[in-house]
Amino acid sequence: MRFVDEYRDAALGRALAGEILAAVDPARHYKVMEVCGGHTHSIYKYGVDDLLPDNVELVHGPGCPVCVIPMGRVDDGIAVAGEAKVILTCFGDMLRVPGSRQTLLEAKAEGADVRMVYSPLDALRIARENPDREVVFFAIGFETTAPSTALTLKRAKRERIPNFSCICNHVTIVPPLRALLESPDLRLDGFLGPGHVCTVVGARPLRFIPADYGRPVVVSGFEPLDILQSILMILRQLGDGRAEVENQYRRVVPDEGNLRALEVMAEVFELRPHFEWRGLGFISQSALRLSEAYADFDAERRFSTPGVRVADPKACQCGEVLKGVIKPWECKVFGTGCTPEHAIGTCMVSPEGACAAYYNFGRYARHKEAV
Amino acid sequence: MSCEPEHCITCGDIAVEMTVVELDVDGALALCVDDAGGRQTVDVALLAPVALADRLLVHAGTAIAGAR
Repeated sequence: MRFVDEYRDAALGRALAGEILAAVDPARHYKVMEVCGGHTHSIYKYGVDDLLPDNVELVHGPGCPVCVIPMGRVDDGIAVAGEAKVILTCFGDMLRVPGSRQTLLEAKAEGADVRMVYSPLDALRIARENPDREVVFFAIGFETTAPSTALTLKRAKRERIPNFSCICNHVTIVPPLRALLESPDLRLDGFLGPGHVCTVVGARPLRFIPADYGRPVVVSGFEPLDILQSILMILRQLGDGRAEVENQYRRVVPDEGNLRALEVMAEVFELRPHFEWRGLGFISQSALRLSEAYADFDAERRFSTPGVRVADPKACQCGEVLKGVIKPWECKVFGTGCTPEHAIGTCMVSPEGACAAYYNFGRYARHKEAV
Repeated sequence: MSCEPEHCITCGDIAVEMTVVELDVDGALALCVDDAGGRQTVDVALLAPVALADRLLVHAGTAIAGAR
């Protein structure tokens, strides 16, 4: 397949693995965090970690948008879905995220009109087609997805569609990274930067990582060779004693990001003072809500939501997985009480979640090692 | 545009490269095709103007970057 096969070439992969082996100091242990869930997914799917030396450890980060949604926000969505005339729309994975009592999918089974969409534009189309209903879009995602929601809200305002609104759960990547770097439980040597977030925000916002914490960052693509090359770039920075932001994903990520997307986001959204992240707790100025100019489209103002903070189930260790403190298989309920079919924690719900990625691809390799 | 059990591009922070095959009159929407043949109407306002055969990086129905 054009533009894909080139980045999955086995011989080039083996050559890069050899260069990585040559670049590591055998006496040192390296911990590299892949921030984005898309990277976690690719690493397990293609067995990238099997090509790395034993002393290069990949740690999974908080960059899966489904995994970081706390239970209270799911309950808010379910409450709105239960209101008269409401059609609640959301991306597919969000349907299976457990709230305190049920998932959106279970609410749908009980009669709520909950529909899966591929894009916020689909939600707007449903609103146009159902003028006598209230169509609410449950928006999730990092800066990659936020422009799509922002453009849709601009379109809704321009077309004066009164029965469309949005529960905004968009989050930003820099505050949780700073929180992780401040965390005493974790000692990381470098970061694989989130390639698609950086298409929007650019590579500049990550500069605080080398500047304030002295750690290298390489903005990485998502194909196996992208990831291997990025790991090599991080190891070379560490070997040279350098710490800077490098851009491996230059074919897509401009250093300045997408300025038009940033303008649209600045018009439609504003920062929330606080937002709760699953496993990471409340982080200041880490999420977006609709700006005053778009208050009419804010479902949290249009409907009453419980807004209650709900503690995660005791058995669930998603918090530690999201912070990279434990590996998915070290969780007490991994693969037994918690599976993709019956998830207890969010990390098992989304394919980009570390637990689901590991469950789907990695567990067999681990069994093999144990034998 | 696929949403296979193990991989949902709209839910994770995943974007796919697509090629523009048709443009609407005001240039804000484009019909795009991915390498597996899946078709989707894509909002291209963040990159406009785009032209036929342009390669775009598409996420959640929106083109967020050009792909080289």
